[in-house]
Amino acid sequence: MIEEPYRWVEAIANRREYIEHQLATGSPIAALSYGDGILLFTLGRERQKLFEIYDRIGMGGIGHPGDIERLRMAAIELTSTEGFARSAHDVSLRRLANYSLSPSLKAAFEQVYGAPYLSRMLFVELGRGDAPNSFLRLDYDGSIRTNGGVLGQAYEEFGVISGTTNSAGKMEDHLRAQKLPAATLDGALATALDTWVIGHLTLTSDSHDDLPSPEELAKHRAEQLAAASIEAAVLERSSRLPATWRALKDAEIRPMLEKR
Amino acid sequence: MELQAVREPASPDAGDFAALLRQRGMYPATAAAAHAAPSVTAPFAQTQATTILAFKFAGGVLVAGDRRATAGNVVVYDRADKVLEIDTHSLMAIAGVPATAWEMARVLEHSFQFYRRSQLQEMSLEGKVRALSKLLRDNLSFVLQGVGVVVPLFAAYDFEAAVSRLYFYDAMGAQFEAADYAATGSGSPAVRSVLYYENAWGSKPLVKRRESEAVILALRALDTAAETDTATGGVDRRGLVYPIIKIISKTGIRTLAEKDLARIFQREVK
Repeated sequence: MIEEPYRWVEAIANRREYIEHQLATGSPIAALSYGDGILLFTLGRERQKLFEIYDRIGMGGIGHPGDIERLRMAAIELTSTEGFARSAHDVSLRRLANYSLSPSLKAAFEQVYGAPYLSRMLFVELGRGDAPNSFLRLDYDGSIRTNGGVLGQAYEEFGVISGTTNSAGKMEDHLRAQKLPAATLDGALATALDTWVIGHLTLTSDSHDDLPSPEELAKHRAEQLAAASIEAAVLERSSRLPATWRALKDAEIRPMLEKR
Repeated sequence: MELQAVREPASPDAGDFAALLRQRGMYPATAAAAHAAPSVTAPFAQTQATTILAFKFAGGVLVAGDRRATAGNVVVYDRADKVLEIDTHSLMAIAGVPATAWEMARVLEHSFQFYRRSQLQEMSLEGKVRALSKLLRDNLSFVLQGVGVVVPLFAAYDFEAAVSRLYFYDAMGAQFEAADYAATGSGSPAVRSVLYYENAWGSKPLVKRRESEAVILALRALDTAAETDTATGGVDRRGLVYPIIKIISKTGIRTLAEKDLARIFQREVK
């Protein structure tokens, strides 16, 4: 039946609705630039969601763990073989996302007899020298959103993913109002936590709702901090090694975040 | 492009970068090329890197190498770096054919990183030591033809046992853990004699020596090797090219600055 064009469109729409429903409870992930690089941040309860991909590339994912794992391994294999065959300087997030991951995701999404990837990913890349940092959202249908820089627009110094469009939009609004890149890592962590709280609180709300009140946010922040573990990692410009990824331990950053 | 299916997590290939390269046809050509020409022996003088040494001292393991690369009786390069950092806490030093050795170091470096990234844990020290052994074994058919012989040293910090460890290999990939010191390359007979003598009858055993004493000993041992072995560079007195000396300990790898080596050399060796 789906050989008919209308049926095919309908099947795709159903599939999109199904995937969006599956992703809707995904805990947000925020990434932003700070003085010494990029911070990736989320709160979680069970599994790891932030991953090192290559020397200057990191990833965060929400969705089905099996699908995130397949995409993570594909990204690591692609970048590692490229870095080995040529050089670490030839590995780029732009090429990884545009030429390898996006077409595969689109193909899987539109082959309606096969299984799509139930995942939404946030990739970040630490710029070399004066080059700007890249933040790239890659969706289950292969669509890509970057942090800009085209047609003379300024680059945004952040990237987010969340379970719903509304939640991600509210997080972006909050980050646009901040002075970025944050001067210090502590400042970046505080901003990232606030952004996460906004994203988490608006997962279930309507898009027309205003931002939650400061009291509501503070209450939600305290509740979530107490109930979940903090997962954070940085890509550091000052790293002495080619590999810039460093995972931050919960115990190392929690006291600073709880004090606020 | 279709994304490749993930290898079964239970497969021993999971996290194995060399296996990934083989699967993609990207593994450095060794065995295949050798099959094509089984009876050919090395027709020309190959570039060789010579004389590396390592020993344990009070502050960890010191690894040193001269800077000369030769082909027959021709000096090819006098600034070769034979002591290579593989990751934050492992060093590989090479004697033999740099073309093969540098490629091995590259595979090794990517293997450790790939394992950490894909498996989300650090490869064990034993795993790292074995990985180099496997690379040497894969190179065996070249070795039998007299091309591409590599005899490396491997030094790493063992976090479990909280000690620095030192290994040396033969060209077939057998690994040996050195108790006190190890040296390979054309100048190694002289170096081993010096280190044996110093360890047994010197002012104190090698493991008791301080860093300043260890550096002097390393420079003197390389100078001794260069005295009789033309393939060992020693110190180029005019060009001010000094050996590479790296120290590995719990805090990681430290490379001694050339100006410090110059000062020590002027005072203690010249």
